[in-house]
Amino acid sequence: MQLDSRHFSVFLALLLAACSQGGTVAAPPTEIAIQPCAGTLPADPLDPRWQAVAPFPAPLILQDMVEPRLLETSTREVRVRTLSDGARVAFHLEWDDATKEDLPMPASFVDACAVQLPAKTAPDVPAPQMGEPGRAVEIVLWRASWQAVVDGRPDTLQAIHPNATTDHYPFDAASLPEGSDARRAMQLRYSPARALGNDLAGPRETPVQDLLAEGPGTLAPASAHTSTGKGVRTANGWSVVLVRAMPPGLAPGARTQVAFAVWQGAHEETGARKMRTGWMPLFLEVKP
Amino acid sequence: MARVNNWQIGRDMSYWYPESRPKRQFAAIFDTNKCIACQTCTLACKTTWTSGVGQEYMLWNNVETKPYGFYPLGWDVKLLAELGAQQWKGDVYTGRTVFEAARPGERALGWRPEEYDYAHPNVGEDDCAGSIEKGAAFVEQHMAWFFYLARICNHCTYPACLASCPRGSIYKRPEDGIVVVDQGRCRGYQECVKACPYKKVFFNPMTGTSEKCIACFPKIEQEQQPQCFVNCIGKIRMAGFISRPEDANPDNPIDYLVHVRKIAKPLFPQLGLEPNVYYIPPIHVPTHFTRQMFGPGIEKAIAEYRNADKDLAGLLALFGSSESIMHRWRREGDVVMGLKEDGTEIVRVPLKEPVHERVAYDASLKVQRTNCP
Ligand code: SF4
Ligand code: SF4
Repeated sequence: MQLDSRHFSVFLALLLAACSQGGTVAAPPTEIAIQPCAGTLPADPLDPRWQAVAPFPAPLILQDMVEPRLLETSTREVRVRTLSDGARVAFHLEWDDATKEDLPMPASFVDACAVQLPAKTAPDVPAPQMGEPGRAVEIVLWRASWQAVVDGRPDTLQAIHPNATTDHYPFDAASLPEGSDARRAMQLRYSPARALGNDLAGPRETPVQDLLAEGPGTLAPASAHTSTGKGVRTANGWSVVLVRAMPPGLAPGARTQVAFAVWQGAHEETGARKMRTGWMPLFLEVKP
Repeated sequence: MARVNNWQIGRDMSYWYPESRPKRQFAAIFDTNKCIACQTCTLACKTTWTSGVGQEYMLWNNVETKPYGFYPLGWDVKLLAELGAQQWKGDVYTGRTVFEAARPGERALGWRPEEYDYAHPNVGEDDCAGSIEKGAAFVEQHMAWFFYLARICNHCTYPACLASCPRGSIYKRPEDGIVVVDQGRCRGYQECVKACPYKKVFFNPMTGTSEKCIACFPKIEQEQQPQCFVNCIGKIRMAGFISRPEDANPDNPIDYLVHVRKIAKPLFPQLGLEPNVYYIPPIHVPTHFTRQMFGPGIEKAIAEYRNADKDLAGLLALFGSSESIMHRWRREGDVVMGLKEDGTEIVRVPLKEPVHERVAYDASLKVQRTNCP
């Protein structure tokens, strides 16, 4: 990866800020430590056990490397906490966002966040921008719209437009009994994305999606969906837990890299239009 | 950005991908003078393709009344305002296309209609341009004007929807140039909705993907014209395939009307997409309006149309005469024929329909009868 001048100046500013603290205040952490967790991982973002973990403030930068670029800063920072039970690692992300956006509509986008790790734990990491050909990254994505559906918003037009009325859909025909295969087939006929099994198109049972990428524009669903998650709206933003498998090869005391992204729907952020971090060192603490 | 040739603007231009033309390009001609705004085309499309949940507001085919009708609201005037005043020098467009005028960080100049912009198609748009003087009465010529503009996706040679998709989820079929969104790959970023100047990609809030006109490709594959063509009451439409101007074949109906007689014009060619739906411009609309909408050569096109010879009139009579795609055509005296690619006859139409007159009163049945022309 090239360190362009703007990113270099951010880096320099952080370095100077760190130096100017002198010896009086503890230097801010330079890596994210996965702390051991006895018992089950806290899946709820409001679980008090998260408060015992010191947050790592990860500064977010604009995604301005590939089109469509984001040119106006929105979310400045995501606060990260991590815990692991040895088999899985949980990321607790918290960020400020004044408006809750969880309804996808024409020209309106939803709040979201993601955690990215290299598919292989090795000192030589792929490009932080979605990986590179032959060198994949694994991504766990959470969307507020999926969370709303999991939390009980029905998969109906009325959930989006409460006053909507429709005269008739072809699958409402009396000849197609309710719940029948024939009715389902007719429904799918008019919902091509669902018919094709696009796994973001159907009603979701989980608010997260496991994805793989080998460079910008290559994002694809992972072969298995094993991650879980939950997001809750806080007084001034979102608090989300994402739980995924421990990166293979990450032994206690070892390091890999992690990156984060945050989308603000109200700011028309979606896809590549996002605030993100570069790679950040992720360190698995040795059990005391 | 690559450099590509766009014959509609008479020059090379910048595009996101290098020039790669399909084996043959789907194209269509709409005669605006014949449209009666019955919306049969709109419903033919709606019942065939967009009757699902989340597709309620989508009209892949729509018919709007110009100058005040838009679907979605302000689709053309909004973009023209963003683009600003631009110039043609003869047949060469010297202004900027949507690709050349893209904002930093984007691939095409565009804007995103909001939900409300789709909410009231056709409401309150049947208004004349200009007011009628007090006491005026209709004598012979129209004192004010409007016309119906039927619109589908233009299956552009340089689609802005395709260029703007960061995932390559939109592709142009190499076999016929039809532009489609891969519903398995789309992730609903709506970049295409923003970039298409004609606003012919729609976001489906139930599936979270963007959907668009597919030119009824299952029918095209069977040598048939799309639903909105064969159901057209006004018989204003003809679907086929277009060649580049230097390869124009006068036996091909589309080539003949676009390249040889030059009476069918693209919609907003200055935007740079080389759209493949061509319009015979309305003859009673001031050309300062139609020139902006259909590019140069409008006056000549209208003069040709008004003074149609037997060939032109004959070919126009073939519109709406068969469900099959007429790759070739031929006139023999007062009969015109639509032909398959191999020359087999599909349909023959007389230049002039015979007139049958019935007596106004049928004495045998004791009934009055009405004669319709
Ligand atoms: S009209 Fe719009 S949707 Fe259709 S091909 Fe052109 S840019 Fe794409
Ligand atoms: S069916 Fe034909 S005549 Fe009727 S509105 Fe559509 S294009 Fe016009």
